[in-house]
Amino acid sequence: MLSLSHISKRFGPVQALSDCSFAVPRGRMLGFLGPNGAGKTTAMRSIFGLVQPEVGEVLWDGRQIGLAERLRFGYMPEERGLYPRMPVGEQLAYLAGLHGLDDRAAQSAAARWLERLGLADRAGARVEELSHGNQQRAQLAAALLHEPDLLILDEPFAGLDPVAVEMLAEVLADEVARGAAVLFSSHQLELVENICQDVAIIDHGRIVATGDVTELRRASQRWRIELHLDGAPAQWLPAVPGVELVERRNGDMRLLAGPNVDPEQVLAAAEEAGTVLEFSYGPPSLGERFLELVSR
Amino acid sequence: MSGRRAITLVARREIRERLRGKAFLVSTALLLALVGASVGLAHMVNVEKTYRVAVTKPVPPGLAAALQRAAKPFDDAKVRVHVVATPAAGRQALDAKKVDALLLLSADRLVFRSDVDAKAAAVADTAVRALRNQLPPAPELTTSALHPATKQSTDAEVLVAYAAAFLLLGALAVYGQWVVAGVVEEKNNRVVELILATTQPRHLLAGKVIGIGLLGLAQLGLVAGLATALLVAGAFEAPASLGGSLALVIPWFALGFALYAVAYAAAGALASRQQNAETAGQPVTYTILAAFFAGYVVLSADAQGLLANVLTVFPPTAPLVLPARSALVGVPLWEHALAVVLVLSSIYALVRFAGRVYGQGLLHTGPRLGARAAWRLARER
Repeated sequence: MLSLSHISKRFGPVQALSDCSFAVPRGRMLGFLGPNGAGKTTAMRSIFGLVQPEVGEVLWDGRQIGLAERLRFGYMPEERGLYPRMPVGEQLAYLAGLHGLDDRAAQSAAARWLERLGLADRAGARVEELSHGNQQRAQLAAALLHEPDLLILDEPFAGLDPVAVEMLAEVLADEVARGAAVLFSSHQLELVENICQDVAIIDHGRIVATGDVTELRRASQRWRIELHLDGAPAQWLPAVPGVELVERRNGDMRLLAGPNVDPEQVLAAAEEAGTVLEFSYGPPSLGERFLELVSR
Repeated sequence: MSGRRAITLVARREIRERLRGKAFLVSTALLLALVGASVGLAHMVNVEKTYRVAVTKPVPPGLAAALQRAAKPFDDAKVRVHVVATPAAGRQALDAKKVDALLLLSADRLVFRSDVDAKAAAVADTAVRALRNQLPPAPELTTSALHPATKQSTDAEVLVAYAAAFLLLGALAVYGQWVVAGVVEEKNNRVVELILATTQPRHLLAGKVIGIGLLGLAQLGLVAGLATALLVAGAFEAPASLGGSLALVIPWFALGFALYAVAYAAAGALASRQQNAETAGQPVTYTILAAFFAGYVVLSADAQGLLANVLTVFPPTAPLVLPARSALVGVPLWEHALAVVLVLSSIYALVRFAGRVYGQGLLHTGPRLGARAAWRLARER
C-alpha cells in the first residue's frame, strides 16, 4: 500500500502541499483530482523522491521508499518524454533495464507491451516518427514494462481519443486485477467515477476529500435531482427553498437540493406545474461533489 | 539494481546513440584523413632535407658525388659539401650551425654538434666506403659530438607535445559538447524525469560521461593506432622517447575528459530549457581554452620554471600541460603522481557536486540556474 502521510512542501513563497494524507492499497485504483496548480504533480513527484517534502512521509507497505522500492514502481510523468531519435523497442528495453530487468527479460517485456498496445510493427521506428497517439502508447508501455507494484500516471487520459481512452481504461483495470496499486490524476471526472474505486481531491495543496468514490458521493448533504417536465413555463423553477438549478436543456433539468430539502417536495411542485415525464434523485455525481469541495 | 548496472546501461545507450548519428563516424574519418595527410606533408618536407657536411682540405675527388649517391635512398636527401681549411675551422663552422656535421677523413671521424644524426652518419659512411672501395662489415667512420648530448627537444618531440595538447583540447571541446548536448536534450524532452525516477543522478551522470568518453578514447585510439602504424612503417622520423610521450596522451585524455565532462554535464543541467547546448557549455569551454593557452605561454617561456611546475599539477591545466611538458623537458615522477592524485580528487569532488546540482537542475524548468542557487536547492531538496 502506498501512503502519503502528512506531507508538506513549499517552493519559495508557494505552499505546494500542506499536510496531505491519502493511501492507495494494492488492487485498487485511485483517481487524483484537483484544479490546475493544486499540487497533484508535486505530490506524485514526492513518491519518486524527485521532490523531498519538508514534513511528513511517503511510505510503501509502511516503509520508507528507497531506490529498491522505486524500481518496482511505474511512472508516467506529467510532461511526456522519450528519446526522440531512439527506436521505440530499444528504448523500452533500455527503460526496462533501468528498472532492473536483465537484457533478455527487458527485450521480451518491450516486445510484449508493444504487441499489447498495437505498436509491434513500429518497434524499429524512432519515437519522433510516431504519431502523437502512438507516442502516448509508448509512454504508457514505459510505465508498465516491469509489472510494477505501484503505477503512478500523471494525466494519462489527457489528449486521448475515445478509442485510446477505452484501451487505457482496460489496461489499468488489468493492472489492478493483477494486484497493482494504481494512482492517476485526471480532470475527466466522469471517467474517474466510472473506473476508480477510490478518489483523492486536492485543492490549494490540501487534501479536501479522500476515500471510496460511492461513499464520497453519498457523504454529500445534497441531492442531485433530474427532472423532465412537459407543459411547464420555459423558466419554471420549483418554489422550494434550498434548490438550485445546475443545468436546463430541452426540457431536462438538473437540480441540486440542499441538506434540508426533501426531494418529494420538488416532485410535488413539479407535478403542479406540468406533466412529469421523468424524475430521479440520488447523491451528486463526482463532478458535482468535486465542485462542491474545491470551490469553497 | 546496482549502480554499476545503471551506469553500464546509460553508457551503452550513449554509445549506441552516438554511433547511430553520423557525427561520430564523420569526425573519425576526418581525423584519420588528417593523420594520413600529415604523413604526406612530412614526406614532402623530407624531400627538401639537405645535409651540410664540412670536409677538411684536401677533398678527395669524387667525395661530393659519392655523398650525393649515398644520400639518394634517404628520401632523396641532398648533401652540400663545405670545404674547410683545418679541423679547427670545421669545428667552428659546426658550432656556428653553418654545417650539420664535420667529416675528418684523416681520423675516420664524423663529428656532430651535440646529437648524432644516424641518417647523416649512414650517408657519410656509405660514401666513404664507396670511395675507398671497401665492403662491410666494419664501419668506416667513428661518430662523435662536440658537446655531450643535451636533453634538447627534437622537432618531433615539440611537435608531439603541442599536437597532443591541441588534440586533447579539440577532443575535450568536441566530446564535452556532446555531453552538454545530451544533458540539455534529456532535460528539454523531459525524459530525464522518467530516468531519475529509477536512477541516481550521479549514476546517470557517470554513465553519460563514461559512454561518451569511451567513444572519444576509441576515436583517439584509432588515430594513435594509425600514427603508430605509420611510425613503424617509417613514414615518420621519430626519436625513441616519442613512444613514451604518445603513451601519456591516452591516460591523460581519460583523466582530462572525466574532469571536464563532469563540469560540462553540470553546466548542461543548469541551463534553462530555452538555452541551447552551445551557450550552456561556454563557461567550461572558456576554462579549457584558458588552461590551454596558459600552458602554451608558460611552457614556451620557461618549461622548467616554477609556473610550469605549478601548471603541471594544477587540476584544470594538468591534463593539457603534463603530456606536453613531459615530451618537451621531462617531468619528475613525483609530479606525475601528484598531478594524478589532484586530478582524481577533483573529479571525485566534482562528481559529488555535479550529481546534486544535476538532480536539482534537471527538473528545474525556469530560467538558467546559477551554480550557487542550484547547490542551495540541492541542499534543501
